[in-house]
Amino acid sequence: MSYEKEIKEKINGHEKLPERIEISVLKYFWQSNPLVGRKKDTIPRFLRKMGVFSNFSENELRIFAKFLHHRKFSPGETIFKQGELGVGFYLIFNGYTDIVVDSISPESNEGQGGNRHILTLEKGDYFGELALLQETSVRNGSAISRQGCELLGIFKPDVEELINTYPLIAAKLLQSVSLIVANRLFNLTREVQELKFKLSSYEKDANA
Amino acid sequence: MPDSRQRVPREGVKLFFFLGSIVVFLAVLALMPRVSIPLLLGYVIFLIISPAIPTLEKLGINRTGAVWIVFTSVIFFSTYPFVKIVPTVTSEVENIQYYLPKIERYVVKNYEDFQFLVKEKTSFELGDKYLYQGLEWVRSKTTRILLNLPTLLASVIEWVFLIPLVVFFLLKDGSIFKKGILKLTPNRIFERFYFLSHQFNKKLGDYIFAKFVEASIVGITITSGLLILEVRFALLFGLLAAFTNIIPYVGPIFGFIPALVFALAEYGTGTTLGAIIILYLVANAIDIAIVFPILVSKVVDLHPLTVVASVILGSQWLGVVGMVISIPLAAAVKLILQEVYKEIYQE
Repeated sequence: MSYEKEIKEKINGHEKLPERIEISVLKYFWQSNPLVGRKKDTIPRFLRKMGVFSNFSENELRIFAKFLHHRKFSPGETIFKQGELGVGFYLIFNGYTDIVVDSISPESNEGQGGNRHILTLEKGDYFGELALLQETSVRNGSAISRQGCELLGIFKPDVEELINTYPLIAAKLLQSVSLIVANRLFNLTREVQELKFKLSSYEKDANA
Repeated sequence: MPDSRQRVPREGVKLFFFLGSIVVFLAVLALMPRVSIPLLLGYVIFLIISPAIPTLEKLGINRTGAVWIVFTSVIFFSTYPFVKIVPTVTSEVENIQYYLPKIERYVVKNYEDFQFLVKEKTSFELGDKYLYQGLEWVRSKTTRILLNLPTLLASVIEWVFLIPLVVFFLLKDGSIFKKGILKLTPNRIFERFYFLSHQFNKKLGDYIFAKFVEASIVGITITSGLLILEVRFALLFGLLAAFTNIIPYVGPIFGFIPALVFALAEYGTGTTLGAIIILYLVANAIDIAIVFPILVSKVVDLHPLTVVASVILGSQWLGVVGMVISIPLAAAVKLILQEVYKEIYQE
């Protein structure tokens, strides 16, 4: 008699069954199957949703995701400080980040103005892109984690490695970063123009 | 901020754990030479051959494939020279024991002649304490090397298996190790640590690659030159010149002296001696005029005075090994100091 038949008969006869594997163990093995895991795909999926990476193909995003560093910050932890040298560009994967600037009043040379909260960035936002492009980049403001956040960072050494191994992806990344910077520059130029116009109109008023 | 009290110790613990693991790792390396020597040699070879991997990856080969291609070709091309050179070097080193007393007699005889000459001319008697001390030192060192040869060969055989293993896994999983270390790095020092370690690794890799090429060129030139001149121990002198070439400034002289003394004792002051001197001069001229400016000086932009000072310091601390590693160490210190300088004076 085979072992299976023996067990069947035992079940039918309501006898005591031999030892068996717990189903939860099997379930664990099933869930740890790499093809099932949801977690593995979340970074490329997250990147797909971001407008800046719209020029990347699915496979390129998958490769790019391998170069990103997933960093967790506890509530109130400083990500970087104003005036520090920076080498990284961060994407917010989860949570919120405050951007804070030490406002230096024009009258005094020492920064006395205290911290000024500029804006709060949320999931899908990004900051620190200048660090990837500048030779020595000094941070213009401080970034502080609010209520804890998860960031994806890409740093200068990673970009160097990307250029060496996947030049196409590196080119697309730099294109995206340049796009961000160009848009900011465009907005800044407009703002400066407006300010200049306002200033000249004030001067005219004062002279009149 | 209510959370800050909770945060500070966690960050502190992270930093402590991270620095602690670095210290433990370095201590393990220092205390267990049997593990650390193959590891470090493997790392050096990894730094020399790893630039080939991205080149292959650019051609569309995946990483594992690229690693296998590079690894098997390195093994393939190094097996023949290795199998050929190791037995030759061993027998040559063993032959030295017969030549050494001859050279010693020659040196002592010439010194006595010179001593006599000086005494006759100036009636001043030259001491011979240092000469005998020096000869004794050479004799004891050589005896020790000869006695240790079987042990050294045994460890070479161990390395033959271990080093390729280390190199293979560094090539294949190097990025995973790197990610693991970076995961441990506390947020507070992450950017700086990553950037500095990357810069340092790059500099070290470039330096080792440049030195490897330089030493090979010098070694091959001298070995083939000596072989053409039919000088005994051509391979040994070539290898010695290649190894000592790693030490800046004084290295080539260290490499030249044994060959010079040997040639004097064996061939006398004749055309062979002249040819050997010219050969060494040419080899070093090629090195100084062509190889060094193209390869090495670009990588390590240290002032010659810094180089000399670090070589002296290195020799005082760790002997010959210290002389070899002093330059990359000095470059690392310079890099860190530059970073600190930027940190303090920027803004």
